[in-house]
Amino acid sequence: MRNYKSLIVLDRFRGWFEKAGVDYTVMRHILQVKLMMDARRVPSFLNKRKKAGAQQETKESNNFLSSLWIYAIFGAFSTPFILLGDNYIFQMSLLFGIFMFMTLTALISDFSSVLLDIRDRNILGTKPISRKTISMAKTMHIFIYMVFLTGAIGLLPLVVGLVRHGVLFFVVFLLTLILMDLLVVVLTALLYLAVLKFFDGEKLKDMINYVQIGLTVGITLGYQVLIRLFDIVEFNVTFQPKWWQIFIPPIWFGAPFEVFLHGSRDSLYIVFTLLALLIPIAAILIYVKLMPSLERNLQKLADPGKRGGKGRGKWKERISAMLPVGPQEKAFFRFTWTMIGHEREFKLKVYPSLGFSLIFPFIFLFTQINQMGFQALRGTKLYLFIYFCALLVPTVVMMLRYSGKYKAAWIYEATPIAEPSAFHRGAILAALLRLVLPVYLLECVLFVFLFGAAIIPDLIVFALSIMFYTVLSFAGLSKVLPFSMPFEAAQQSEGMKMIPLMMLLGVLALIHLGATFIPYGVYIYLVLLLIINWITWSKLFSSAVKREVSA
Amino acid sequence: MNEAVQPLISIRELRMKFEDKYVLNGIDLDVYPGQIIGYIGPNGAGKSTTVKIMLGLVDGYDGEVSVLGQSPKNGDVEYKRRIGYVPEIAELYDTLTAREYLTFIGELYGMKSQDAETKARRLLEQLGLGHVLDTRIATYSKGMKQKVLITSSLLHNPDILFLDEPLSGLDANSVMVIKELMSILAANGKTIFYSSHIMEVVEKISSRIILLDDGRIVADGTFEELKDRSQEGSLEQIFNQLTGFNEHRAIAEQFVNIVQEV
Repeated sequence: MRNYKSLIVLDRFRGWFEKAGVDYTVMRHILQVKLMMDARRVPSFLNKRKKAGAQQETKESNNFLSSLWIYAIFGAFSTPFILLGDNYIFQMSLLFGIFMFMTLTALISDFSSVLLDIRDRNILGTKPISRKTISMAKTMHIFIYMVFLTGAIGLLPLVVGLVRHGVLFFVVFLLTLILMDLLVVVLTALLYLAVLKFFDGEKLKDMINYVQIGLTVGITLGYQVLIRLFDIVEFNVTFQPKWWQIFIPPIWFGAPFEVFLHGSRDSLYIVFTLLALLIPIAAILIYVKLMPSLERNLQKLADPGKRGGKGRGKWKERISAMLPVGPQEKAFFRFTWTMIGHEREFKLKVYPSLGFSLIFPFIFLFTQINQMGFQALRGTKLYLFIYFCALLVPTVVMMLRYSGKYKAAWIYEATPIAEPSAFHRGAILAALLRLVLPVYLLECVLFVFLFGAAIIPDLIVFALSIMFYTVLSFAGLSKVLPFSMPFEAAQQSEGMKMIPLMMLLGVLALIHLGATFIPYGVYIYLVLLLIINWITWSKLFSSAVKREVSA
Repeated sequence: MNEAVQPLISIRELRMKFEDKYVLNGIDLDVYPGQIIGYIGPNGAGKSTTVKIMLGLVDGYDGEVSVLGQSPKNGDVEYKRRIGYVPEIAELYDTLTAREYLTFIGELYGMKSQDAETKARRLLEQLGLGHVLDTRIATYSKGMKQKVLITSSLLHNPDILFLDEPLSGLDANSVMVIKELMSILAANGKTIFYSSHIMEVVEKISSRIILLDDGRIVADGTFEELKDRSQEGSLEQIFNQLTGFNEHRAIAEQFVNIVQEV
């Protein structure tokens, strides 16, 4: 077993732990095993392709440690906040806002499995270990994690702060970071406790799932936002403390810089500083009080949840009743609809791309808006940027085949499904209506708002293009039955196939652009697309599958 | 039964409430060394809850519980050093290898790391798992996981064993090994608390059978005693009779009727 450096550091405090009534040897064993398991866990935003084989022992890379660089980059991107001037309250509050968001989401998405490990109860609870030792091991585990996480985010800013603003700044920064960590940990635990107390384990898992999705989107787009923030934000604004800022924790942590470094005696700043100091300490005390209650409520995680009974799924029934397809398609449509909504791993992998495709068109638009202003957009053909949002389609079509419970796909083999194409049609329809349509509608509303109602025919053409593009994506990717492969099997080769598909989307956008130059061109193209869709949807799906089967 | 010997486990008037519903309605029980106790009952009768209370996993019960002379409530966990436990659901830290996991469990029981590792290796080799010692448990079959669990419950040579469906997933040969293992352990003075739904096994290996229904003990004695009392031939029939379940035929017929409607 590896001897972790963090444990060697911890060894120095052995006497302190033993004085507190903790069995240090046992705690060290627990921590060692926990750290080892962390090293083998894949963080939620790293979609590492790993072979689920037995021979991965030889190369033991620490997945957790190697994920830290992402946070380090975020730290690096935030350092300009320290470099630019000494408007501390403003810069540091922003910085702490970013840090709190990052640590909180990281803690919830990647560390909740540690806080909420119900195996601990059966494995550790039945052994001769005192509760004190178990809960101290848990606390120390989180502590080690937070040290690494904060270290990764904060190291560069700390060093830059030391060089730029001196030792006092460094000390204040370090202390406020520690206080922030305490607050974040306790907030997470209290959040879990509240959710578990009032809802059930399933709700909590859903919540964690959404935070994970949020983190994935945040990490991927956060840089964009950060960079743009420097353009938008005016750094020489004079910050006026107001009473309502009491409710914005990052400002508490910005205030000590004003008090200690600028010698501000503004009563609000002093109140904020006190809050930054006292709230985390109070939170820790509450945490210690409530920890046993959390442990007790953890049992709920193991209990079957009470999912909303028959009332849900009305939409599914209504839509499937309206679809002009056969009963088999409808069955698969309803099945896929439900799976998309329920499988957390699927959501974690696919929902972030929904977020991206929603934002993508705007990333390109923003540069234009910066140059020309909002008003100038109307009348231009920049609305064709909306095609970026269809990048989602091949991803969804490809991801449909993956599932965390892929082994259940034996049912397809065991049942007499004469025509697999029915399954594909039903599944893809469900994915289009449930995943792509909402994104499309939202995007349309925003674009009509920006470009005016005149683009509505174009948006209809875009919808038909998406339909056609779906067929193209389906034809371009290999045909695998939905939910029948493990996520780990996401192949590189399929990823390569995405590139020509993306270019095809560009072609579709160009045709659309061309049509806009011809009088009534858009309407002609619309009718043309209708016909093409009619033919392809009924023909290509079945023939593509047949070809695959016979090949 | 030898009344001069002190009971290892003693339970008086045990009641437990989960959300306004009593799952245990006054259990009285004494367990003596060397017994293999078949602890049976329908789903939800309160079997697992009793075991979890004795292990100190569940608190908030009423009544007196004493395991190895100690109450799980008072916070002293020393008595767990003499207990081995195989839970119903195979819960392990399955990202670890069997060697790592078992060494860790041994250490938790206070064994030296080296001793735990050697012993774990030797035990697993006996069960035919020597070749997968350094493979992650996550890749194991159900039966292999079960063997690791059984090994982890015996590593520290406990005096009491709580086994919850210990044979699930094992093949016929391994089942024979484990059954034999239990009777040898009992002959050596260990006490085994065995819960299962497979009546044939319980019937054969138990020296005492306790039948739980609706949070109450409805039968307690050797298989012969139960047989005399209920005039039924097999434990399965006794089980059905004592839990007041006799409509299995009717249910099966209904079921088939529905199947054939199509």
